[in-house]
Amino acid sequence: MAARTTFYVDKQNKKVSGVCAGIADYTGIDVTVVRIMMLVLAWATGGAGILAYFIAAHLAPTKPTGLYQDQADAKFWQGVRANPSRSTGEVRAKFRELDRRLADIELHYTSRNTRLADEIESLR
Amino acid sequence: MEEVIAILCAIIGLPWLIMHYVTKWKQSPKITNEDERLLDEMYNLARRLEARVETVERIVAADSPDFRSRLTSGDDYHREIGLGDARPSLEKHADYRPAGRN
Repeated sequence: MAARTTFYVDKQNKKVSGVCAGIADYTGIDVTVVRIMMLVLAWATGGAGILAYFIAAHLAPTKPTGLYQDQADAKFWQGVRANPSRSTGEVRAKFRELDRRLADIELHYTSRNTRLADEIESLR
Repeated sequence: MEEVIAILCAIIGLPWLIMHYVTKWKQSPKITNEDERLLDEMYNLARRLEARVETVERIVAADSPDFRSRLTSGDDYHREIGLGDARPSLEKHADYRPAGRN
């Protein structure tokens, strides 16, 4: 399985080499914003930005297809790259919520049985 | 004079800014491959479990229509039943089991 925490060049959504699309995929920033920022940076640094772009395109591995199952999965891993401890906290919160919901179901059934038992008791 | 300031900015200021953010990025919390694999497994497990719990909740709601309305007002429900905690204690229900079988 390919790592989700490394920087990839996104060839599927590329305009030139896919570095901007890769940055957008890595950080979760909109790809158009990344491209505009890259153009501004290239203009401000006077060519150094363009050089950095092609070095990045040459060095970074290509993003494998099917890295994420769906949009929610991609968003989750963007969160992990930004702040892993917050993401693990979110997963733990999800497990706690599931525990609470299962406890509700359990309580529903157990309390219903007691009510049924009370009714049977009153009929006798 | 202005040219000197501009050149100083370009030579010292810009690499400083870049190095500042590079060190910040290096210091930010990183996870190992093992952690990543574990987190992936946990995340997928949580999603699968959530889907299962949703299915079970729908089945329970279809079985008894009052289940959904209780879910929305969970606190009132727990007070009404007489339990402070969401978890029903086994001892409480153990008393009712013989009555239920008769």
